[in-house]
Amino acid sequence: MYRLSRLRFLFPIGLLIAFFLDGSLSKVLANQFFSFPYSMVSQLVLLWLVLAYFFEGTVKIPLYGFAIAVGVLSDLYYSGIWGLFIVLYPLIVWLTKFLARLFTDNFFNTMLIFFIDVVVFEFLNYWAFVLIGVTHTNIGDFLLYTLAPTLALNLVYFVVLYWPINILYTKALAKKRS
Amino acid sequence: MRKFFSNRRLVFIVVVLVVAFGLMGGSVALRNRRQTPPLIQQFGNDIVGMVDGVVAYPVNAAQSGVNSFTDLLNTYSENKKLKQQVSELAQAKVRDQTLAKENRELKKELKVNKSMTDYSTISAAVLSRTPSSWQKQLIINKGQTSGIKKNMPVMSAGGLIGRITEVNKTNSKVELLSNTSESANRFAIQISGSGGKTVNGIITDYDSQSNSLVMGQVTSKAKIKKGTKVTTSGMGGVTPKGLYVGRVTKVTKDDYGLAQKVYIKPAANFNDVNIVTVAELDS
Repeated sequence: MYRLSRLRFLFPIGLLIAFFLDGSLSKVLANQFFSFPYSMVSQLVLLWLVLAYFFEGTVKIPLYGFAIAVGVLSDLYYSGIWGLFIVLYPLIVWLTKFLARLFTDNFFNTMLIFFIDVVVFEFLNYWAFVLIGVTHTNIGDFLLYTLAPTLALNLVYFVVLYWPINILYTKALAKKRS
Repeated sequence: MRKFFSNRRLVFIVVVLVVAFGLMGGSVALRNRRQTPPLIQQFGNDIVGMVDGVVAYPVNAAQSGVNSFTDLLNTYSENKKLKQQVSELAQAKVRDQTLAKENRELKKELKVNKSMTDYSTISAAVLSRTPSSWQKQLIINKGQTSGIKKNMPVMSAGGLIGRITEVNKTNSKVELLSNTSESANRFAIQISGSGGKTVNGIITDYDSQSNSLVMGQVTSKAKIKKGTKVTTSGMGGVTPKGLYVGRVTKVTKDDYGLAQKVYIKPAANFNDVNIVTVAELDS
């Protein structure tokens, strides 16, 4: 039960911190993230949502609701354009659930699923922004200068944060039972 | 095997797509037309901005700690260079004061009240940056209550960095000059060419490969030298005259060989902005 578990506090607070860290890290490390012409997009929120699905165990976190909520925040605060992240985050949650059924549950498969999630996320983001005219970079530039560095950054996030988050969840869930 | 696109799912996907694109198109149109976003959006942004302050504070503190440490390592060599500049600066400052005073007196004589060079400034701190490779936006911690309005130019230590695009009550968004979106606002700038001629134009694009601003469609025949300083021209009536933009690095012909294309290296580093100054035209 989500309502009775400690994840009730851990998950939303972690989500908020991930959300604000995305922006803060982009500002503080702008020289590294946006060194011309490359640009890396920090996606800690995505990482938190995906890992929450894998670590939640028997506790069912209402991930779609939180994904929509954080999508609203992103649209409002970071982009100022409505309607993109509010759809993309729940979609990625759905995609993760869909893919998780096809793979057995281990570190490398989780990483592969996260990899696919980030690719799909960035592709749809790019496609939507091209359609509404926010950007007009061509697809080659997108692949080389945005997608590749973004994947690199987020996989580093994944490798660094997988075990700490895993321990966090294990502890939070263990306390519930005792 | 179960059919992937069942009727219900297909309808759901289409509806979501239509709503999403409707929202996106609508909000882009709304943003371009209105001076301020709808009240609900402002309210949400203010709340989120306040919470962001709590999370951003330790991160920014860590950054300034690291910065002061690296600054300390450079101090000796920097000090030598700066000492030389300080003596020149004092002279320039005094001259500037004298000229400003003379300018005021002459304006009074001519009964000109305010011109495009009279502006006041509002300082703000940068809270955060949009984590996106296409929307190059900063979020700053001053808004309507501090007198910030849409389209005001924003400067950082070095020079011009962008323009205010969205104003909430207590925070606002700044679109950087490195943004290449089609709706990005472009600044009117001027360069002094050969023979005392002034070349006017606008920033038409940003070249991310060389990190330079592009001033396209320059039909003037005046020769522009490399290294010439570029400033805003004050045309259009929103941006004050004489804000420093950068220096000319390259002058080429455009694709059709008819007009000149000027590449400008921006004076400010768009990726290292902590404090910004918003310029407000006195009127």
